[in-house]
Amino acid sequence: MKPLNLLILLGFLVGVVWAVTLSESSVRSIQSTYYETVSPFVRAGSKLEAKAGAFLKEVEYSKDLEARLHQTELQFGRLAAIEGQLRELERENNELNAALDFKRRTNFEVTAARVIKRQPSTWWKSVIIDRGAKSGIAAQVPVLASGGLAGKVDRVTAGEDEASVILLTDESCQVSVQVEGTPEAGIVSGQRGQIGGSPLLRLRYLSKDAPIRPGMRVVTTGRGGLFHAKILVGTIESFEPGAFDGEAWVKPSVDFQNLNIVFVTSQPDSMGKTEEEGE
Amino acid sequence: MIGYLFSVVSLLCTVFIMQQFMPAFTGLYDARILIVPLVFCCSSVTVSMGAMLIMAFLCGFLWDAQHLPGVAEGLESVYTHPVEQLKFGYSILLYASMGFLMQGIRPLFREGKWHVSALLTGVVIFLYLFAEFMLITFVRGEFILTRGVMLKITFCSLLTMLLSPLVFWILFKLASMFRHTIRYDSLKTQRRA
Repeated sequence: MKPLNLLILLGFLVGVVWAVTLSESSVRSIQSTYYETVSPFVRAGSKLEAKAGAFLKEVEYSKDLEARLHQTELQFGRLAAIEGQLRELERENNELNAALDFKRRTNFEVTAARVIKRQPSTWWKSVIIDRGAKSGIAAQVPVLASGGLAGKVDRVTAGEDEASVILLTDESCQVSVQVEGTPEAGIVSGQRGQIGGSPLLRLRYLSKDAPIRPGMRVVTTGRGGLFHAKILVGTIESFEPGAFDGEAWVKPSVDFQNLNIVFVTSQPDSMGKTEEEGE
Repeated sequence: MIGYLFSVVSLLCTVFIMQQFMPAFTGLYDARILIVPLVFCCSSVTVSMGAMLIMAFLCGFLWDAQHLPGVAEGLESVYTHPVEQLKFGYSILLYASMGFLMQGIRPLFREGKWHVSALLTGVVIFLYLFAEFMLITFVRGEFILTRGVMLKITFCSLLTMLLSPLVFWILFKLASMFRHTIRYDSLKTQRRA
C-alpha cells in the first residue's frame, strides 16, 4: 500500500471513531447546521416542485377538456382552464377551512404548518414542515393533523422556520396510549418493514385477555411527558393475544398519504401544565 | 487528479441537494432513486483508494446528518423499551464498504469495461440497503424481513442502477475536463521506467 493511502486510511479510521463517539447534542448541532445550509435550496426546490406540479395538473386538465370539447370554441377552452384553477382554489379553501375548524376544536395552543417535503430516506418516515424555531416550535413536541395524532417534532433548524417531523408510522415514534372504554394501556408505534400506502400501527404491552374489539378508539394517555392526553391515534383493527401479553393492530386516524397541513402543539412546558390540569 | 477529485466532491454535494427532490415510486414499494450512493459508487471506481476513503467519509457524514432521526425521549417509567437508533457515523463505514467493493473491479473499469461497473452499482446498492436494514434490525432486535422490504430494496437498486451510465458519462466528461486519466498502475510504472 502506498504511504499516502496508508495515511489517509489512518485518518479515515480516526474520523470514523470521532464521528461514532459524538454526543447526541453534537449530532443535533451538526444536523442543524446541515439543514441550515441546505434549507434555502430545499425551499426553492419545493416551490419549483409545487409550480411544476400545478403546471402538470393544468396541462392534464386542459388535455381532458380538449378530448371532450375539441369541437367547441377556443374561448370556451380558456374559460374551462380558468374554472380548473378556481376548482383548485376551492379545494385549497376547503382544506384550509377544515384545518381552521380543527384548530378551533383543539383544547390547546397549536401552530398550523404546511408539509413542504417528505424526507427522502429509505427506512425512516419523516416530513419537513414550514414552521420551526422562528415560530417558537421546539423539538419533541406533538404534531397533530385533522384526524388526530400525526407524530412529533424531531429536529428544529436553528434560525430557520423549518422543522422535521417524525411520523407516527415510524417505528421510533412511540406513544403511550389507551383503548377507550377499557383500562388497557400500552405503547403504540409504527412497524418496521411495512411498505405501502396505509400502514398499521402496532399496539404492544396489553393484557393477554384484554377485552378489545375491532373498531375501538385508541387515544393518548398523556403520560410519559411527550404527548397531551385524549388525542385520537386510531381505531383497533385486530387483537392478537400472546403467551404473556397481547398486541393489537391499529388503523391510524390520520391519512398519512395526503398529509398537507399539520398542527404543532405547545411547548413541553405548557404541555406539562395541561397534564397536571388533566390529573 | 486534485482538480478531478474536487469536481467529484462538488458533484456529490450537488446530488445531496438533488436527493431531496427524488420522489418515491409508490407503485414500486416506495422505491427511490438513491442518487448519492450511485454517484459515490461510480466515482469511487475512477479514483484511488485514498480519494475513495475521503469521499466515503464525506458522503457517510452528510448522509447521517441528513437522515438520522434523534434519540427518542420521554419518561423512562412509561417508555420502558425505547427504540434504539443507529449511531451517527455508521453510514461512513457502509459507504467505505461500497467503495471497496467497487474498487475490486477497478482493473476492468480501467480497461474500458464500464458496463461491468454499471451493473455492479446495482449489486452494491442492494447490499448497502440490505446491510442498513440488517443494522437497524440488529440494534432494535426482533428479526423482521418482509417481502415488501426485499422488493423495496430490489426496486431501489434497479432504478438506481439504470441511471449509472449517465453518471459515468458525466464522470468521463469531468475526467477529460480536468485531464484526469484512468489507466493501469502497471502501465504508469512501465512508462516511468
